[in-house]
Amino acid sequence: MKYFTYILRNARRNPVRTGLTIASTGICLFLMMILLSFFAMSAEVSSASRIFNRIVTMNANGFAGMLPVARVRQIAAMDGVLAATPFQWYGGKYHDEVMPFAQFGVDADVVFDILDEFTIPADQLADFKADRKGTVIGRKLAQDRNIKVGDSLPLKGDIYPVDLDLVVRGIYDGPNNRDLRMCLFHYEYLDESLKQTTMGAGSGGSLATEASRISGNAGSIFIKCQSADAMVELCRRIDDEYRSTEFPTRTQTEEAFGQMFEEMMGDLKNTVYWIGAAVVVSLLFVAGNAMAMSMRERTSEVAVLKAIGFNKSLVLFLVLSEAVLVAGLGGAIGALGCKFLCDYVDVARFSGGFLPFFYVPWNTALLGLGVSLFVGFASGLIPAVLAANSSVIDGLRKVV
Amino acid sequence: MEGSPSIELRGVDKEYRRAEFVVPVLSDLDLTVAEGEFLALMGPSGSGKSTLLNLVAGLDTATRGEVIVHGRNLGTLSEAEITRWRADNVGFIFQTYNLIPVLTAFENVELPLLLTKLSRKRRRENVKTALRIVGLEGREHHTPRQLSGGQEQRVAIARAIVTDPYLLVADEPTGDLDRATAGEILELLEQLNREFQKTIVMVTHDPLAARRANRVLHLDKGRLVDDVTDETSISAAS
Repeated sequence: MKYFTYILRNARRNPVRTGLTIASTGICLFLMMILLSFFAMSAEVSSASRIFNRIVTMNANGFAGMLPVARVRQIAAMDGVLAATPFQWYGGKYHDEVMPFAQFGVDADVVFDILDEFTIPADQLADFKADRKGTVIGRKLAQDRNIKVGDSLPLKGDIYPVDLDLVVRGIYDGPNNRDLRMCLFHYEYLDESLKQTTMGAGSGGSLATEASRISGNAGSIFIKCQSADAMVELCRRIDDEYRSTEFPTRTQTEEAFGQMFEEMMGDLKNTVYWIGAAVVVSLLFVAGNAMAMSMRERTSEVAVLKAIGFNKSLVLFLVLSEAVLVAGLGGAIGALGCKFLCDYVDVARFSGGFLPFFYVPWNTALLGLGVSLFVGFASGLIPAVLAANSSVIDGLRKVV
Repeated sequence: MEGSPSIELRGVDKEYRRAEFVVPVLSDLDLTVAEGEFLALMGPSGSGKSTLLNLVAGLDTATRGEVIVHGRNLGTLSEAEITRWRADNVGFIFQTYNLIPVLTAFENVELPLLLTKLSRKRRRENVKTALRIVGLEGREHHTPRQLSGGQEQRVAIARAIVTDPYLLVADEPTGDLDRATAGEILELLEQLNREFQKTIVMVTHDPLAARRANRVLHLDKGRLVDDVTDETSISAAS
């Protein structure tokens, strides 16, 4: 600690250069945090869903495949199952918005028993259950669009050949790392609308054909299990039950279901990691150059320090500490700054609906800080070794 | 204390290698400096006086011969040992002061004490004492840029004496100062020699500075050509 003043003063010797080094480190790490957090957050949220004892059933061939809604009742009746709900993606457009927010047709009677991390006032839940055209939306979705209970929420069908005239009956809330931008409505309302389209358009129209094809499809089924122990066995039983049918199923834990979306991104994750590595290398050059310039200007000062008794390891320590301090400050601003910014500002609302929520996990922020310390150490290593091994006589030559 | 040998050079040669050339700087030099002596080294540029200063200060090693300072043969010490030895025994005063510009006068003087195990309070006391000796009380928090040349050199002297070394080496300590300020700095060096019995080895081109010493050595082409000790002769020789 007794050398801290010396290290700090030297770091502040050229404020512009130090400021620019800190800024470049900070900005690079800030952007790196955004990229890395996207994957780290998905993984963390997926693994955090373990505690909810939920499994998800979908068609074995993927989301495009049919999953008859009758199976919701059949699965709900199985041993070890507490409740089950269809979870049918609608994807309608709200007013002129291009990017739809998440909209799902669900079983209003049980959906909040299954998604029990969410909270909703009892009277609002009762109103939702009682109104077939009712919908419940997340707190952040309501805040983003200034929607209140009682407002109408018209959705124009995009994938589906039907429009929905929903009325907001409740606003749910929950932890910040869960999706608070969903719109949940009665599955029956969607399905009946599809059936009416089938009947109204006659049997020969393309709309009617499409509506007929989609009607009765649960999309996916979210299942609440009685215990974590029952989950794997239930997945196997459900898939065994429908293996020989026209629509075989694939059932997995909610965690695995979440990871499946990550896998859909293919090699993007590795690409991002490579970009991160390239950023680290470029940071090394920036910080290393700044440190080398700084040390070149201090040749005679280092010689004086060594003359008055500072040994090699102490000189090495002082130069490395300075480099680590500067890069570490950049890391603290970039990595921890990004974390706190994302914690206190709902940046997901600027994603145009692409992200329901966004935060920087602690392990990612600490990784960023660690990267900055490594950059400081690595960038300072060569100047530090050169300074430690420099000749006192040569260093003093300018003045002797 | 004065009279016993503080510095002994026995048959010292110093050569520098520049590519394939060997450049002799000091040749077969024998010298004894008594403890508490104020020695001035004079001579033309390239005569080897700075090299001699570097040898007795432990900054450089002799090619041949022995350099013994206060009973230690410097040639036998490892790099780490000689660095430690310098910290304990030698104070340096340079022509261009060589203060750390980002540190205050207090912090510059404190630098050598950071290498000791002294407590913060004790370090503070020692720094204040050193600054008082050089007449810079009240200037502790000034940076070198806020001080005059003479004041900077006083800070450098305070830095050199703060660990209470027995040897002070000064390389052209008044070279960058005007006549009046140079006189004050030399007065201070005389005081350190007289009152605190510091052995001082000073390189100078300035005859007036050399007159402050109680012994003047003249070097030429790496050899000792004159060794003057009495006051009249010093005045005449310098």
